[in-house]
Amino acid sequence: MAQATSSSTPSVPAPLGTWGKLIRTARREPGLVLGVALLVLLLLAALFPSLFTSQSPIGVFIDRAMQPPSRDHWFGTDDVGRDIMARVIYGTRVTLAICAGSLLISAVIGGTLGLISGFFGGWTDQVLGRLVDVLLSFPPIILGVIITGVLGPDIINLVVALSIVYMPVFFRIARAGAMSEVGKTYVEAARSIGVRDSTVLSRHVMRNVLPLILTQYMILFPLILQIQAALGFLGLGVQPPTPDWGAIMEQGKDYILYAPWISVFPGLAVLIAALALMLVGRAVQKRMDQR
Amino acid sequence: MGSYLLKRLFASLLTAVLASILVFLLVRMVPGDVVAQMMGQAGGENAAGALREFFGLDQPIYMQYLTWITNVLQGNLGNSWTRGLPVTDMIGPAFLVTLEIAILTLAVATLVGVPLGILAGIYENRPLDTAIQTFNILGLAAPVFWVGLMLLVGVSAVIGWSPPLRFVPITRSLSDNLSILILPIASLGLLQAAAYSQFVRQNVVSALNQEYVRTAIAKGVPIRVVFFKHILRNVLIPIITFMGLILIQILGGTVIIESLFALPGLGRLLLTAIETRDYPVLQGALLIVVVSAMVVNLVVDLTYRLIDPRVRVA
Amino acid sequence: MAHDDCSRGPRGAACKRTRERKGSIMTFMNVSSMRRFGQKLLGATMLSLLALSPSLADEMSLYGPAAENAVSGGRLNMGLLLEPPGFDPFHQAADARIRLSVLVYQGLFYEGANGQAIPLLAEGFEVSEDGLVYTIRLRQGVKFHTGGDMTAADVAYSYNYIRNPDNGSPGAGDFSMVSNVEVVDDSTVRFTLTNKNSSLPMTLGNKYGAVVPAGYFDDESAKNRINAESVGTGPFKLVEFVPNSHVALERNEDYWEAGVPYLDAIDFSILPNSASMLVALQNKRIDLVPLSRPQDVQQVSSVAGLNIERWPSLAQTAIDLGSELEQLSDVRVRQAISLAVDKNEILKASVGEYGTVLGTMVSGMQESWGLPLDQVPMQGPDIEKAKALMAEAGYADGFTMTLTTINGFDWMDPASVTLQEQLAQIGITLDIQRVDLGVWVNNFRSSQMGFTFNDWAAQPDPNLLFYRHFHKKPDGADFRNWNNDEASALLDEGRAEADPAKRRDIYNRFQTVLADTVPTIMLYSPDHVTVRSDKVQNFTQHPTGWYFGLARTFLAE
Repeated sequence: MAQATSSSTPSVPAPLGTWGKLIRTARREPGLVLGVALLVLLLLAALFPSLFTSQSPIGVFIDRAMQPPSRDHWFGTDDVGRDIMARVIYGTRVTLAICAGSLLISAVIGGTLGLISGFFGGWTDQVLGRLVDVLLSFPPIILGVIITGVLGPDIINLVVALSIVYMPVFFRIARAGAMSEVGKTYVEAARSIGVRDSTVLSRHVMRNVLPLILTQYMILFPLILQIQAALGFLGLGVQPPTPDWGAIMEQGKDYILYAPWISVFPGLAVLIAALALMLVGRAVQKRMDQR
Repeated sequence: MGSYLLKRLFASLLTAVLASILVFLLVRMVPGDVVAQMMGQAGGENAAGALREFFGLDQPIYMQYLTWITNVLQGNLGNSWTRGLPVTDMIGPAFLVTLEIAILTLAVATLVGVPLGILAGIYENRPLDTAIQTFNILGLAAPVFWVGLMLLVGVSAVIGWSPPLRFVPITRSLSDNLSILILPIASLGLLQAAAYSQFVRQNVVSALNQEYVRTAIAKGVPIRVVFFKHILRNVLIPIITFMGLILIQILGGTVIIESLFALPGLGRLLLTAIETRDYPVLQGALLIVVVSAMVVNLVVDLTYRLIDPRVRVA
Repeated sequence: MAHDDCSRGPRGAACKRTRERKGSIMTFMNVSSMRRFGQKLLGATMLSLLALSPSLADEMSLYGPAAENAVSGGRLNMGLLLEPPGFDPFHQAADARIRLSVLVYQGLFYEGANGQAIPLLAEGFEVSEDGLVYTIRLRQGVKFHTGGDMTAADVAYSYNYIRNPDNGSPGAGDFSMVSNVEVVDDSTVRFTLTNKNSSLPMTLGNKYGAVVPAGYFDDESAKNRINAESVGTGPFKLVEFVPNSHVALERNEDYWEAGVPYLDAIDFSILPNSASMLVALQNKRIDLVPLSRPQDVQQVSSVAGLNIERWPSLAQTAIDLGSELEQLSDVRVRQAISLAVDKNEILKASVGEYGTVLGTMVSGMQESWGLPLDQVPMQGPDIEKAKALMAEAGYADGFTMTLTTINGFDWMDPASVTLQEQLAQIGITLDIQRVDLGVWVNNFRSSQMGFTFNDWAAQPDPNLLFYRHFHKKPDGADFRNWNNDEASALLDEGRAEADPAKRRDIYNRFQTVLADTVPTIMLYSPDHVTVRSDKVQNFTQHPTGWYFGLARTFLAE
């Protein structure tokens, strides 16, 4: 999440007096403003869930099970009387942290391997490239299903599975970026005056490839959110009673005719989060393209 | 072209072999085997040992792999451990189901997504574009299984209809087949149409911004002519490339849609094979998925090269 | 409560209540009002239906009551939430397999709902003075689905196959006391035992093994083929088993009972989630459904033309306590947990009111074999006493432990969070770990189950219910590492005893030990709840959960 906000900060300027500019941006890019607003809201919910609800997300109250939305429980209650709104709000942190974390892992590992592969080429590139091809030949959800199957459903294992899913994408982006930098004169110049490869790689190539990776991070975020929810829906997500959007939907699908509110609200939460991330991601991508 | 094709085929073959080893190891790393499940809460280690021997599970893993891969190369994927049927007899029909879903979804996505994308691109930043973009973004943001669930329940509540239970192949009855598939394809198709439309729009917009297109428009060439002569050609290649991507996406996406709508496709076969630890079926199904994804990639790559000669140099 | 009356009703009687359609505006009614409404409804229909309890003759009959007005013909569409992992009665222990395969394969005896073994492919039997030799007369005129006549050679072959552990049957352990099965003449076989065993006839039932043609497994590939072939003697033949889609059975035209079955064919459609099952039910795509979560009936209770029925059950949900865990090896900790558990609350969270809280016996056998509920020791909730026991064991500050649950067993999720709160009261913090069935079975079988939920069923016989699970190794499997000498001695005694009254007393003593030293905490028996459309007639649900009743079901015009 840290990346998500820092990369979108250009649109949230702090200095006063630039209100006019801000309003102009808002008028030109209402999507971005909406995205940032939603994202801020989600972040607040993730960091300070108690601001939004006084209910416990895990407190079991059998006597108030399956209540439809009401003044006391805006989103209704589930089969053991837990407040769905509290579960969805507290679920924000769980869901977003899992997605952001696993995507970060894949960006760091995939990106680093990609840089190395693209910069040095040759034998390393061949081996890494082949391994990544193998991973890429599995459709993402299937890969996730198998890895969580092997490791067992658990929050850590879920993160491992999800970080493997998009690692090849970061690898490819970083590799292509590094390869195009290698051909440029500044790299050759640096090498010719004896700057070490590792320095060139970390000082110069990295700086040029990083924006590509950040953009990709924003693009993939809504997608990994969908995969995470899908795995949760298949029962391969977090352990009960941890609130997680996919897991709440999985629990609710069996009551869909009778207590549709259990699955409707977490579904909407996924939709809104993906929407916010996409709106912001697109704006970021646009800026990158313009550069 | 010929030598490229050869090189490409060889690389794919190598990837396939590596993938098969990965598949084999992954499958065996899932704790608990088929025998434990067959024995359930009954005791009897002797009996369990006898069954493990029957399935060859007492052999070292590399031996199991060699036996399996030798059979696979002869076109024999073995027998299901829980169903007694040859794996090929199980995967064949399941693959056809998934393939049909994929093709129909692709058709829906193309027929809806491409025109929407082109319209949005041409009317960039006008209300129509905004409307289409809203559709795109909502379609991409909504979880596929959630949309499916809402459709299933919503349609049943509103018109009192739900899909028939037993899958009927298209060869037996077109109408029955389609009435089973309409909801799953609608839910998958919505997402993919949104993705497609979004992608096409970007390409149309960037094509419109090309210098020569602008010049042509400035010179007063009718937009219709500009569109067919310049834009469509430029957009065609990405459209085809994207088709491959979508096809692979759908192959993965069917896992969840098939288990929601009870369709006997490859995705659900995979899930049940994982649950029952039916290794021959699991390995076979995974292999088919991986190989199909590779074939799609290869075909896309080759078409790409055929259409755009510039790529050949690269 | 209405339901308790039901389970205490006539022994083994199918407790049957029909809920009529009452308006159609209940769809979004809130739950508590819905439940109250339901109770009223049940109360009202109770009286009239109790009068319908089946006669003794029905209880003694095979598969269910005969129908006087039966119509032959028609295909029944039945929905299944659990796909059978195979169709092999010899090597596949899964309950989802047994439910269906009992219609295709038959053993020598039938598991009468009241706990009596009723001759099925047998006609009758004699036991020698010393109780070690059973001479069984076979039914005449029985034909296999493959066309041949069933003879004593086939019976001897089949039971010799299953009892030999080298053949890999999970049922082999039940036959360990059989030393020989031999042909006396064409229509008589003789079972010789090493120890007395009063539940031999029930063991020769339909759970594991069946009579198949002699020499069937001589060909190695038969172990595969039996999942796709039909080689039994039952009322239906297996026609087709398409993975993830359906199982098709058709009437066995040469079936040995005259006039039955009534149905031409049964199609079992496999639907992997209750959402699509309920929608299909609403739209009349299925005629008959056993619900895996009984409370799901609330979602279709307002649909016209559907009848909801509840049946007593031999299944149980339980907490198992493996003594291989250090904390659980102390009997005081196990007792404290037993005292802290509020079974009623767990029942309510898991299945609403659609079940019966247990002492030490499943609800379907409580009347015949259960220790009276008021005599069961260590029943809670009694938090003060539980805390005292924890302190005595040196855990005054409590401890943290993992509760294992199984993915796909719907009741375990609400039950686990409820138990988590209950045990927190005595200082035990539970980490819930949901694993998939394959992993769970693996741990269970290697006696490494730890602290876990379990969900299991047995035939209506105390020996078959308890022996394998709770007798010391090597005679029993003692999955929970209970290792209790007194209990094992009682189990041996109970198995050998033929006199019903003495037998009952022995098993009462066993259950006292079981409840007092807590290797397991039986929680509740979920009702079997079935939903059938009006046209489905004369269906009864056997307390095992197996679909014997379909052999007597017919479709009204």
